[in-house]
Amino acid sequence: MSFVPIRFEIGRPAAPWSLIGVLALLMLGLGRPAVAIEADKQTKACLRCHAMETIAYRDPVSREIVDLSIAPRLLPHSVHGELACTECHRKSYRRYPHPEEAERESFSCVGCHEDDSAEATYQLKTVESEYRQSVHVAPGAKHADRFNCHSCHDPHVFKVSRVGTDIAQVVRDGNQVCLSCHEKARDPQLGSHAWLPKRDAHWESVRCVDCHTPASAEPSRVSHQILTAEDSNRDCVACHSRDARLLNRLYQYRSEEDLARRGLFAKAIFNEAYIVGMSRSPLVDWISLLIIGLTLLVLTAHGLGRYLAYRRRRNR
Amino acid sequence: MKALYLYPGWLRIWHWVNALLFILLMVSGASMHYAGTPWLLAFETAVPIHNAAGILLTLGWIAFVIGNVRTDNGRYYRLRWRGLAGRLIEQSLYYARGIFRDAPHPFHVTAEAKFNTLQQLSYLGVMYGLMPLLILSGWSFLFSVYLPETLFGIGAVWVVAMTHLATSYALVLFVLVHLYIITTGETVLTNPLAMITGWHRERHTPSRDA
Amino acid sequence: MKNPIHTLSNARFSRLAIALAILLLVLAIGYKVVYPWAFQLYVGESSAILTYPNSQPLTDAEFETLSRELSEQARRERAAEIVGVDQADFAREVKIEMLMGTPSFVRESEPSHIKYFRDAGIRQYQGPKTCLRCHATTKVDHGDGRVTTVDTLDDIVNSVHFKFQSDADGFSTYGYDGRKVNAPGERRIPVGKINRACGIPGSFSWTGWAALVETRPEHAEGATVTRSEGCGQCHIGGNYYPATEKMMPIGDVPVDAKDGIDCLICHSAEYDMNQRYVMRDDIGPRWNQDRSLRAALSVGPVANRNCLNCHQHNMGGDAYLHNVAAKSLGEKNQRLLHKGAKRGNPFSPTDDLHAAANIQCTDCHVPEGHKIPRGRFGVDLVANDLPGKDVACEGCHSRAPHNQSEHKALLNGHIARLACETCHIRELQENNVVLRDWVHPTWDAEEGLWEPTDVYRSGKPGKGFTYLWFNGNGTFLANALGNNPNGSTDYNPLMRQMARIEDPEILAAVRAKAIELKRTYPDIDVDAYVTAATDPLSQLSPEMRERRRAMIRDNLTAAMNEGESRIYPFKLFNAMMFEDMGNQGPFGAMILPFDYASYYETGDTQASVIQAIRDPIVRRMYQQPFKLYMMDEFMSYFGVTEGWRTDYPLVDGKLKGVEPHWMRQMGALMINHGIQRQGHECKDCHAPDGLLDYAALGYEPERAAELMDLDVLQAAD
Repeated sequence: MSFVPIRFEIGRPAAPWSLIGVLALLMLGLGRPAVAIEADKQTKACLRCHAMETIAYRDPVSREIVDLSIAPRLLPHSVHGELACTECHRKSYRRYPHPEEAERESFSCVGCHEDDSAEATYQLKTVESEYRQSVHVAPGAKHADRFNCHSCHDPHVFKVSRVGTDIAQVVRDGNQVCLSCHEKARDPQLGSHAWLPKRDAHWESVRCVDCHTPASAEPSRVSHQILTAEDSNRDCVACHSRDARLLNRLYQYRSEEDLARRGLFAKAIFNEAYIVGMSRSPLVDWISLLIIGLTLLVLTAHGLGRYLAYRRRRNR
Repeated sequence: MKALYLYPGWLRIWHWVNALLFILLMVSGASMHYAGTPWLLAFETAVPIHNAAGILLTLGWIAFVIGNVRTDNGRYYRLRWRGLAGRLIEQSLYYARGIFRDAPHPFHVTAEAKFNTLQQLSYLGVMYGLMPLLILSGWSFLFSVYLPETLFGIGAVWVVAMTHLATSYALVLFVLVHLYIITTGETVLTNPLAMITGWHRERHTPSRDA
Repeated sequence: MKNPIHTLSNARFSRLAIALAILLLVLAIGYKVVYPWAFQLYVGESSAILTYPNSQPLTDAEFETLSRELSEQARRERAAEIVGVDQADFAREVKIEMLMGTPSFVRESEPSHIKYFRDAGIRQYQGPKTCLRCHATTKVDHGDGRVTTVDTLDDIVNSVHFKFQSDADGFSTYGYDGRKVNAPGERRIPVGKINRACGIPGSFSWTGWAALVETRPEHAEGATVTRSEGCGQCHIGGNYYPATEKMMPIGDVPVDAKDGIDCLICHSAEYDMNQRYVMRDDIGPRWNQDRSLRAALSVGPVANRNCLNCHQHNMGGDAYLHNVAAKSLGEKNQRLLHKGAKRGNPFSPTDDLHAAANIQCTDCHVPEGHKIPRGRFGVDLVANDLPGKDVACEGCHSRAPHNQSEHKALLNGHIARLACETCHIRELQENNVVLRDWVHPTWDAEEGLWEPTDVYRSGKPGKGFTYLWFNGNGTFLANALGNNPNGSTDYNPLMRQMARIEDPEILAAVRAKAIELKRTYPDIDVDAYVTAATDPLSQLSPEMRERRRAMIRDNLTAAMNEGESRIYPFKLFNAMMFEDMGNQGPFGAMILPFDYASYYETGDTQASVIQAIRDPIVRRMYQQPFKLYMMDEFMSYFGVTEGWRTDYPLVDGKLKGVEPHWMRQMGALMINHGIQRQGHECKDCHAPDGLLDYAALGYEPERAAELMDLDVLQAAD
């Protein structure tokens, strides 16, 4: 994957009055307000070209292919699907060919969401501070200068919670984001994950970020502080038993999705959230097996004693 | 020879259904807990079996409680406090010593009391102590999202998991002991047969032994 | 338990063993001797040891003279390449001469095989025998890391270049009965190509392998001139008949026939196309080839000129100005040129930008041994040696090929729906044939022969070729399959684009030609002629039309909707030929071949058909074994559900149940060469009367209107 060469500046307020307008209108419950209809029309005009699946060009500087296509079916379902394109992009983009200066735009997720209700839900400020410590923007990191929110979260597709989607699909989608750049990780021989037992099974059921982020205070939130390979969790038991917080995060997250999708009864039967080994506790296991073993020994001895006594009686 | 009809049909059915569910739960539970062990079930197979059996076990347990309340079967579980300790010691001594010397059973099954005190105590503990714990922790697993995030300052899922694990082990222990103890009737097969036919038969009358 | 050694020496056992050995021997002799003999008898062919007049031994002195000459020639060519052309002629000449005398340069530029032949004592080129002395095996690089070693002769004998048919799977061709041809699980039948631009289509190459035609050109003033014609001019087998044996489930090509393989036409830089003509000996006519030591000594890597010796014939055409092979028609019995072009998209530096950049054929068609890929897309039922191997623009150009235009991103955006060729083949050669009437030939005074009448030729988009959705699948009669990705149910090229011509300009041209033909053939009803030629479905009964519609819907929809279709340009072609009406279905009837000599010489097309179908192989085709072996299966793919009817259409020397007809739809031939740098302009398509008929391509009216209106794109706010 290549990065879209647009600058992303975290924390710079952009004060999008029109966004607030749209939200306000939506909140007033006016159905499809005029603004939204106007947005639709404008989006349609942009999509005339950008809906082309192969719209792309080779960047003369990086020599990489820059994909400009937007999936028209996914856009309306994305978090930003209601917005007109120029709510985020410069107005001058409405002309074609697009004027050169239009290319130097910058976006600010946190800036937009600073004052709105989304902040309470998504805690973008926390996200920002976590992101700043992420390995992706650490000094000296490859592409650090070009890395931004959109490197992972395609703004035209991204939606927050996909309650109702198949868990495996959620995991796949989530991991696809990482693997689209970290292609080498896929290589079964070379891969940095060669150490991980049942690697593919893990990748099918655990998100990359479950191990590559620090355990956050709230179990259901995944931190945006992506860790270096060295700092990431390599400890099997951290998930597969002891660390309650990590276990909680993983299991509760999966449980929630599962419940939403399947309903109570099916959930009860299939419980997709169960994690292999989550009930493991070496101590309990050992003590219990020891007691069971001893009991078996005692019972066997007891039975033997009864048998001997019985034979003695018979002989008499 | 005496014959007592101790186990009515509903109870026998319940018992054997319960037994079957226990086997299923132990096998599938072990398969989940020790997933990846070659001779156990596949994880994906074990999960629905375990969950379905668990749900049925819950229903069975509720049926058991209701059955004991509504019929006179409940009386067997009523402890007679007077002389309890004495009877316990007597019964334990029998298992530890008398049984090898062909000593008489200190307890005689009657229509009024079919469990000896030791039996009574262990059944009480299992049915009203371990089973509810097991069932509760099992259901908590399934619907953990409705639990608080922490219990006693520890992650709720972890508490649930450990409770479920510990009670499971305890119940495995119970099953093992149970399987052995039932062979200590007048003959090895006296008790198991009784649970199949409903009739408790003893060749020796208590009077002759006494 | 008996001792096993004892068992072996047991008399009864040894008798059994001897009997078994004799049986095996008989079977082996039967297979190797009796079967080939019986087979040749059955198909009415015979072969003999093949000799070539130009395969002459040289003395050592002659060899050295020739070597010197070739070496100097090669050296001079290389020197000329090295010394820049930007200097004064005289200076250049001096520098070239300096290089010519430079010892290291002399060593390096000598054709490699001079030394090999000198050391091995080879003084005569005797065809494959000579090559196989060193090249008995070939290392094959499969391109995926696998390298295998194969028997060279086997490899070439089983390649499409030699046997020109295949019964392997991997066809992307669907029968009109909805079955994929030779798919796993189906009974395999040998299929080559149904080449309808030709009067001798498909397996009828038997009847037209090599022919000598007596022509009466104007300039000869009454004298006859002998010309060569036939399929064997390109197919590399040098025998008296094609590799028929390979069509059968058992048996192999005779050893003599393998000796006729023409290695040098592909491998020699000095191959003389003037040696390629038909000669006749006691057995019959066959094709001569260049077996001179000169050609053999100049073998080297296969270059474009080698491929184009034959393939320019079906790309640019024989009449194409830059067809090099067509300039050397033979030192005698000169080959006949076909004036109308099959595709009219030449691969030559003048008309194709890859050829101009000296890109080699094998750069895209990367061979594996003697198997050469033609890509995974196949619309025309052409046998494919490497069906799984891609030949695609994207292989080199990536998915973002446009780098220069202001609209580069938009242009790249079109790739999702358009093939590169759609824009970058702006037009074909103007002699590209669209409608050809074999039944009413025209006298060509200059050549002195009757030739099929090209009723309509054009190289213009929308006329000489059209645009269709294509997902790589095709039908048994070369109809491109695909569908608008919107899942349209209106897009039905087999009832529309490939079955009807509505362009008033073409209709007028066809009418004019019909009027012209009427002068020679007074029976022609001009109106009926124009209707049949431009609306071939009008020849079907209403019931047959309905059956056709239902078969397309029921049998081809899945193949059309498969994968991702894009719009490709397709050269359209239809022909009027004699058909065996006993074997007719909604998509056409079995066409009958012509005999070349009588066709060209007399113009009596009926007599020519009679002559051709007297060929034993056609008689065999109308007999039970062939019916069971392949014709029933063939007919089912062809859309004739009742099976193959074996009523031989020649009774008492007269044609029976044979009628002249236009085939029921046009064939659509892929065009991939003749690539031009400058593609079509936006306005060429995005305009109300643009090149693409969006409605016919299955777009909703609203979307079609949008696509025709380019202004929306340029609305400045």
